Amino acid sequence: MNSIQGKRKWEPYVWLLPSILLISIFVVFPILIVFKLSFSEITPGGVIGGFIGFRNFTDAVKLPAFKTVMMNTFWWVISVVGLSTLLGFIIAMVLNQQFRGRKIARSILVFPWATSLVIQASVWNYIIKYEYGNLNNVLLNLGIVGQAINWRTSYTVEFIWECGVGIFVTVPFVTFCVLSGLQSIDGSLYEAATVDGAGFWSKLWKITLPLVRPSLTVSTVLNIIYVFNSFPIVYTMTKGAPAHKTDTMITYLYMLSFYERKKGPATALSVIGFLILCLCAGIYMVTVMRKEEES
Amino acid sequence: MKKFLALLLAAVMVFALAACGQQAAPAPAAEAPAAEAPAEQPAEAPADEGVTLDVIICQYGPNTNEWFLGSGMNGTNFVDKFESENPGIKLNLEVISWNDVHQVVDTRIANNNAPDILNIDTFSEFVPDGLLMPVKDYCPEDLYNDFFPAFIAESVIDDTVWAVPDLASARALFYNVDLLKDAGVEVPTTWAELEDACQAILDYYNGEIYPWGIDMTTDEGQACFAYYAWGNGGGFVDADGNWALNSPENVEAVNFAVGLVNKGFTNPNPATETRYDLQDMFAAGKLAMLLTTNQLPTYVSDKGGSINMATAGIPANEGKTGSSVGVMDRVMAFKDDSAPDQAARNEAIGKFLKFFYDPENYVGWVSMEGFLPAVNSAVEALVASDPSFGAWLDVLGSCQFYPAAKAEWATVRQGVTTVEQNALIGGDVQAGLDALQAEVAG
Repeated sequence: MNSIQGKRKWEPYVWLLPSILLISIFVVFPILIVFKLSFSEITPGGVIGGFIGFRNFTDAVKLPAFKTVMMNTFWWVISVVGLSTLLGFIIAMVLNQQFRGRKIARSILVFPWATSLVIQASVWNYIIKYEYGNLNNVLLNLGIVGQAINWRTSYTVEFIWECGVGIFVTVPFVTFCVLSGLQSIDGSLYEAATVDGAGFWSKLWKITLPLVRPSLTVSTVLNIIYVFNSFPIVYTMTKGAPAHKTDTMITYLYMLSFYERKKGPATALSVIGFLILCLCAGIYMVTVMRKEEES
Repeated sequence: MKKFLALLLAAVMVFALAACGQQAAPAPAAEAPAAEAPAEQPAEAPADEGVTLDVIICQYGPNTNEWFLGSGMNGTNFVDKFESENPGIKLNLEVISWNDVHQVVDTRIANNNAPDILNIDTFSEFVPDGLLMPVKDYCPEDLYNDFFPAFIAESVIDDTVWAVPDLASARALFYNVDLLKDAGVEVPTTWAELEDACQAILDYYNGEIYPWGIDMTTDEGQACFAYYAWGNGGGFVDADGNWALNSPENVEAVNFAVGLVNKGFTNPNPATETRYDLQDMFAAGKLAMLLTTNQLPTYVSDKGGSINMATAGIPANEGKTGSSVGVMDRVMAFKDDSAPDQAARNEAIGKFLKFFYDPENYVGWVSMEGFLPAVNSAVEALVASDPSFGAWLDVLGSCQFYPAAKAEWATVRQGVTTVEQNALIGGDVQAGLDALQAEVAG
């Protein structure tokens, strides 16, 4: 009996072994390599030299665009994750209602998520083009405006457009996460609350939100990681122009590495980004889990 | 059942490890570049024992892949034709887009798996690490002598030629003849005339037509810098070849270019509107004048446009001489100390080059994308196929090229672009160029 229990104790690890092995090889090992590179000298030609301590990190922090890029990354993650979570939640609430065409609406919602980000960004680039953009064409043809509008008047506006596209492609993921959470809520809870005289807001705060919190946690943590690491939208729409004013950390380190060939600072930035991401996702998960335990 | 499970898990682990395995890769030599080898043919070693060359080619357009790997070479392709004519040499050839090629090459170098032959724009970053072979180690002498000497001179570091040009393009002023004629504007030759012409076009067309196209995007900012700096007696380097980025001429040139934008003479978003966006505007008759490559007529006709266009020299500041801007890409060979037979490898690389530059193949390649040739032997056939090549070859002869042989070129290329883009949003040109000069020249 004991021997069987002993074997049972090890069984989960045996089953997990292939996954652990694959994750170690394809995730952990590359991360360790990047850490090693960030402390190594790397020539512009890409040849890896010896250990140089924190020089890559100090060089990265001293870069003129560093502060701008960090602030852009902050606003990029906050706005895209925050607004897409809010919008995704609202849309999920709507899609959870019974109405004609609900299945079609759910299918349509998948499109932005299912399409490649490069294609999405390119399409939006064409939509907001001053000269031949679809948006201006529609507005002009409908007589809403008398002449074409320049939708990209400043880098702040450009950055807002990039955030907008980020939100557009992120909303479906949040919606489906929340929708799955909403569908798992027992309808009798709402019926009981209605009998007790609870209104819409009361049911939202006291039933819906607490019960979809696990789904929201998953979508938010994953979105923080995805959005922080998102490359195609910014790169396709502006390539960080003008003068890195619309760059996020990921696009900037790419430009640094492959355009300016400053590979050492680029790997240091990559490590800084990884640590920030671990910190943010960790704090968020710990906070949410603590709240769940308390409730 | 458990034995089966154990076997299954073991198999999964083996596959996982095998999937991560790399081919044994040659280590790049780390020593300093060798002195130039004497101009002699590689030793006659039998290449038919089997040499495989890893080749990376950049994607110049939609036809590149077809020509090298599809059926765009009269029903066959470069690789098949080369291998059938050169038994014993296998080509492992990849066509990679310009967006990805630097990333691919850098990753391969970092993994000690550099390609044998690489087609790309820059080369100077590979020389200090001793990654490249001197051209005369593998290039047959008759082919070497066929290259335009001025082109070869652009790939020299420490008296050694490290790459050969594969093709070139020349930049000039293109203008819409009808738009200028209707507005009563002469083709500008000086900056003052340019401003007058822009104002006249703006007034005549009530702002419906952009008088002047300007591209300060991340990929083309260096070209913009060259157009105006060279037209003002400045440039990237001084007469001794040292960086001279913050010269008064350069500061004035960038301020002039940004001034054109601020006066409303140009396309509205120069930091994000690429050369292709501008060419589209030109093809649609929305842009009157544009500095771009000799490929513009091909581009416009491919788009179905029929613009009455003509070319002229790039306008310069009063009393200064304008210069055409030439852009050249290169082919280079990496060292591979692990190759069992160096002589056979060098000979195979030489045969690859001979085959590529053979007019029978090369003329089709160059004309396919509307580029200009890098070897004398192709000129006659190209001019016969399209007389306009003759005029462009004259322009090419007087072009200035980017100082791509200098190790800091990548930093400078992006640096001047950043200065321009900063100036567009009110930044100080002098301060930006001073900082860049200090960074690259110490």
